[in-house]
Amino acid sequence: MPAMIWLRGLLRRRPGRTLAVAAGVAASVALLASIGAFLSVSKSTMTRRAAQGVPVDWQVEGQAGSKPADLLAAVKAASGVQAALPVGFASTTGLEATTGGTTQTTGPGVVLGIPASYAATFPGEIRNLVGTPQGVLVAQQTAANLHVKPGDTITIGRAGMRAARVRVDGVVELPKADSLFQKVGAPVGSQPSAPPDNVLLLPDATWHATFDPLATTRADLVRTQIHARLDHNLPGDPSAAFSSVTGRARNLEVTLAGSGLVGNNLGAVLDAARKDALYAQVLFLFLGLPGAVLAGLLTAAVAAAGADRRRQEQAILRARGATNRRLVGLATVEAVLAATVGGIAGLAIAWLVGHAAFGSGSFGATPGAAATWIVGAAIVGFVIAVLTVAVPAWRDARHQTVAAGRAAIGRATSPRWQRWGLDIICLAASAVVYWLTGRNGYQLVLVPEGVSAISVSYWAFAGPALLWVGAGLFTWRLADLFLSRGRPIMRRILRPIAGDLSSTVASSMSRERRALGRALALVALSVIFAASTAVFNATYQQQSGVDARLTNGADVTVTESPGANVPPSFATKLASVKGVKSVEPVQHRFAYVGADLQDLYGVRTDSIVNAGRLQNAYFQGGTAKGLMKELSARPDGILVSAETAKDFQLKLGDEFRLRLVDGRTKQARSVVFHYVGQAKEFPTAPKDSFMIANSSYVAKATGSDAVGAFLIETSGSSPSTVAAGVRSVVGPNAPVTDLQTSRRVVGSSLTAVDLAGLTKVELGFALVFAGGSAALLLVLGFAERRRSFAIAGALGARRRHLGAFVWSESGYVAVGGLLAGALVGWVLSNMLIKVLTGVFDPAPAAAAVPWAYLGSLTALILAAIVIAAATVLRRIRRQALTSMRGL
Amino acid sequence: MSNDQQPVVVCEAVARTFGAGPAAVVAVHGVSCRVPQNARIALTGTSGSGKSTLLHLLAGLDFPTAGTITWPAIGDRGALRPGPVAIVFQGPSLMPSLDVLENVCLPPLLAGAGEAVSLQEAEAALERLGLGRLLHALPEELSGGQAQRVAVARALVGAPQLLLADEPTGQLDHVAGALVIDALVDTADHLGAALVISTHDPEIAERLPTRWCMSDGRLLTESRDQVAVGTA
Repeated sequence: MPAMIWLRGLLRRRPGRTLAVAAGVAASVALLASIGAFLSVSKSTMTRRAAQGVPVDWQVEGQAGSKPADLLAAVKAASGVQAALPVGFASTTGLEATTGGTTQTTGPGVVLGIPASYAATFPGEIRNLVGTPQGVLVAQQTAANLHVKPGDTITIGRAGMRAARVRVDGVVELPKADSLFQKVGAPVGSQPSAPPDNVLLLPDATWHATFDPLATTRADLVRTQIHARLDHNLPGDPSAAFSSVTGRARNLEVTLAGSGLVGNNLGAVLDAARKDALYAQVLFLFLGLPGAVLAGLLTAAVAAAGADRRRQEQAILRARGATNRRLVGLATVEAVLAATVGGIAGLAIAWLVGHAAFGSGSFGATPGAAATWIVGAAIVGFVIAVLTVAVPAWRDARHQTVAAGRAAIGRATSPRWQRWGLDIICLAASAVVYWLTGRNGYQLVLVPEGVSAISVSYWAFAGPALLWVGAGLFTWRLADLFLSRGRPIMRRILRPIAGDLSSTVASSMSRERRALGRALALVALSVIFAASTAVFNATYQQQSGVDARLTNGADVTVTESPGANVPPSFATKLASVKGVKSVEPVQHRFAYVGADLQDLYGVRTDSIVNAGRLQNAYFQGGTAKGLMKELSARPDGILVSAETAKDFQLKLGDEFRLRLVDGRTKQARSVVFHYVGQAKEFPTAPKDSFMIANSSYVAKATGSDAVGAFLIETSGSSPSTVAAGVRSVVGPNAPVTDLQTSRRVVGSSLTAVDLAGLTKVELGFALVFAGGSAALLLVLGFAERRRSFAIAGALGARRRHLGAFVWSESGYVAVGGLLAGALVGWVLSNMLIKVLTGVFDPAPAAAAVPWAYLGSLTALILAAIVIAAATVLRRIRRQALTSMRGL
Repeated sequence: MSNDQQPVVVCEAVARTFGAGPAAVVAVHGVSCRVPQNARIALTGTSGSGKSTLLHLLAGLDFPTAGTITWPAIGDRGALRPGPVAIVFQGPSLMPSLDVLENVCLPPLLAGAGEAVSLQEAEAALERLGLGRLLHALPEELSGGQAQRVAVARALVGAPQLLLADEPTGQLDHVAGALVIDALVDTADHLGAALVISTHDPEIAERLPTRWCMSDGRLLTESRDQVAVGTA
C-alpha cells in the first residue's frame, strides 16, 4: 500500500523524473530491438541470396546397381522438390579438333549429357557465350584450348572404343563448375582441387548414343546424376533453412536405401550462411551495443541529477520510520515503473523504426528469435532502470548520511576508477588485444578461398570495446585534470567570454569538474560512437561498391567471346553510345604458367589506373600508379599474384616464361616476361591467380590485339540504361553487364547484406544521443545549480555575467567533447576497420569519411548546446524569484 | 532636501500578491514606509507575515503588484545592485563552487571593479570580520555562523547604502547569532549604511532602535525615535 501511495505521489508531483529514466530505458531498448529487427531482415536476405546463388540444389548420384529411372522417380517424389532432370557424366580420354590447318589435342575430360530443358530448369548453371544455347556445347576454356568455335568439329576419345565426332553448336561458361563436378558424398577435404579443364556438353540423346556402349564395357567411366531444384520458400533464418533442407536430403537418402547419395549444394551454402548470420549478429550487436551502453550512461546521468532530491526524500521517510528495506523497495517500484514504460515505448519505437528503415517490424527471423530479442532488450532496459534508480537508492540507504550526500562540491578525492587507473588499464589491454589480432593478420573471419568453412575470433572484438571504454574514462580524467591543474590556462581561454569574471568562472568550473568531466566524457563517447559507426558503415558501403566494380569491371562491361577477335578500335564505336564517358579496352588471354592455366590481362598502362579505378590496395609492393609506371618502363614486365610469385620463387626482375596461343598460328608459344610486381585484384579478374602485362607487348608476342573486355565509364547516367544502349551496338554475342545488376549478385551472404538500413538507424540514434547528451547534461547540470544562479542574481549579476558561467561551461563541454570524440573516433574507426578486415572484400585502402554526416553531427551538437545554454539562461532569469524565495 | 538627507528607500501603498484567483496569497498588503539613511530597523513578525517578501521588495529583487517603491538616495532600480543595496539571506547563500575569497570578491567583480581591486576589498572585508584564515575554505567546510559572517563580509565589500538581512541568525545558535548581528551592526556603522534586519528574536530586535512589525502582510509601526514610518 505505501508503495502505491508513493507511486501515485511520484507520478503526480514528479512525473518528469520517472519519465526521464523511462526515456533512457526506451532509447536502449529501441536501439537493441531495432538491431534485432535489422538482423531478422538481414538473415532472411542471407537465406534468400544464398538460395538464389544455387542453380542446382541437389545432385543425387546413383550408386552401383541403381536404375536412373527409379532414382529420378524417387527424387521427384521427395519433399520440396520442384523439378528433377537426369544428367549423364562420362569420362573421355581426350578431345581433339583440327582448325585453321592445325590439330589441337587435350588431356582427359568430362562429357555431360543434358536434357533439352536443363538450361531453363536450372538457370545459372550454364551461361551461353557464343552460338546457340542448345545442341553440342563446349566449355569456354576447352574452346580456347581446342581453338574451336560454332561449326567446328570435335573428336571425343572413348576408352577402348573408336572416337566419336560431334559438331559444335555453341560455347558456354559453367559458373558453378566446382559444385557441378563435385565428388558426391565425399567430405570437403577429399573433393577435387579444381573442376576438369576439358568439358563438353551433349544433348542427352547424343550422349546416350555415344556413351551407352561404353557403359557396357567400362561402367566405371559412365554415371548418372539426378539434378533437382527445390522450393526456395524456406524459413527466414539461415539456420532453420539449413535444418529444413538437410532434413529433407537425409530423408531422401533413407528412402533411396543406399541406391543414391545426395550432394546437397543448397545445404552447403545455407551452412555457410548460418555461420555468416551468427557472425553478422555479433558484428551488428558490436556496432550497436555502445549505443545501448551510452543510453544507459545517459539514463544514469539523468537519474543522478535528481539524486539530491531523492536523498532528501529518503531522509524524510527515514525520519518517519521507514526502514532501509522499505526505502529500497520504493526505489525498486520506481525503477520497475520506468523499466515497464520505457520497455514498452522502446519496443514500439523499434517496431516503427523496423517498418520505416527495413520494411519489417519483426524482431527475429523465427518466433523464438523474436521472443529472445524482445525479452533480451526488455531485460537490458530493466537492468538500466535498476542500476540507475534502485541501486543508488540502496547504496545511499546503507552507506550515506544526508549531510554527506549533499556535499556535491568540494575537494573530493579522485573516483576509484581514476585511482586504480582503470582507463589506462583498458587502453593498454586494448592495445595488447589489437596487437595480438594484428599478429594473426586481423583474421577475424577465416574464409580461405574456395573453402566454405568460417570461424570467428570473437576475442578480437575486445580491442575496440576496451578502447571505447578506456578512451571515455581517459577523456574524463583529462577533463578533470585540466580543470583542476590548468586553471591559469583556463582563465586565459575564458577571458574573451567571461572578462573580469574569468578567474571566478575558472574556479567555479574547477570545483564543478566532476559533473563537467562526466558531461564532456559522455559527449565524447557519443561522438566516438557516432563517428566510428559512420566511418565503418561508409567504408563498408564503399568496399561493397568496390567489390561490385571489381566483379563487373566498370560501370558497364562488354565481355567479348573467345575467338571473337574484336580490335581495340571498336572502343570508338562504343564511345558514341549515349551516356558513355570513356571506354577502356583490356585484353584477356589464357596462359600456361608451367602446368597451371591462368588469366592474363593486357592493359594500356597510361589509362588503366583511371579507367579501371585501380586502388593501391589492389597491389602489393607499390601503388597502382607506381606499378603501372614500372610496367610502362619495361614493356615485357608482368605483375603476378602473390601465390604465383611464391610458388615460382620469383624475385623482382626475374625472367618469367608463359605459354601463350599465337593468334596467327593458333599454336602455343613461349613468351618471355620479366617479373616487376604483385597484383591482388583487378577488374573482372578471378579472385585467385591472374597476371597483368602491357597490352602492346602481348599483342606483339601473340600477333593479335583482340580485346577481351571493354570497360565503360558512364557520364552520370544509370549504368543499366547505358548497358541497354551498348547492347544494341554489340549485339547478342558479347555479354554486357552493368554495375547495378552486379551489386545485387556479388559478395558472400554476409557482404551482400545491405547495411544502409542499420546505418540509418544507428546514425539516427547516434545523433539523438550526441545532441541529447550535450543538451541534457548541461540543462540538468545548470538546473541543479539554480540556487547558485539566484544568489549571483541577488548580488547583482546581469545576464552577461550569468552568461559567462553558462557559455564557458557549455563551450568547454562542447569543444572538449567534440575534440576528444573526433580524435578517439578516428582511432577507433581505423581500429574497427583493421580488426574487421575480414568483412571487407577487398580490404580498403583507406577509411571512407562521411564528411556530410560528421558535419551534421558537429552542427547538431553545437546547436543542441547553444539551445540548451540559451534555454538555461532564460529559465535562470525566469526562475530567479522562485529560487530566491528559498534562500 | 539634500541628497544626504533623502531616505534610502520609500514604499507607497505597496502590495505583493502571489498567484491569482481563489488561490492568490497576499504576502504584503498596503505597506507605506521609508528607510532613512543610517536607520537601524528590526523587522519582526510571525512566520508567513511577509517579512522576507518586504525585504526582497526593499532590495529590488522583487516587484510590487501594487504601489510604488523608490530609492531616492540611490537612484533607479537598475542602480541598486551590485553596490548600493546588499542583502544577507537566512539560509546558506554562498556559491558552493567558489571559495570564501571568491564568494566575497563577486559583488565588486560584478560591479566591474577589476580583479586586483576586488581581491583587495574582499580580503580587507574578511580580515575585518576575523575570517582571514578562511580565505580559501569552501562553503561546505564552514560552520553555519562562519558562513553567515562570510555572507556579511560579502555584503560589506560593495560599500552598500542599504544593508538588508533576512533572519540571518535563524539557523544559528545564540552565540553564533550574536556574532553575526555584531558583524552586521559594526558593518553598517562602519559604512554609515541603513540596516534592516528581519528577526524572530526579541533580543536582537531590542538591540536596534527602531522596530517594525509585520502581521498578515501589513506593517505596524513600533518606533521609539520616529525615524521610520509604517502605516496600515
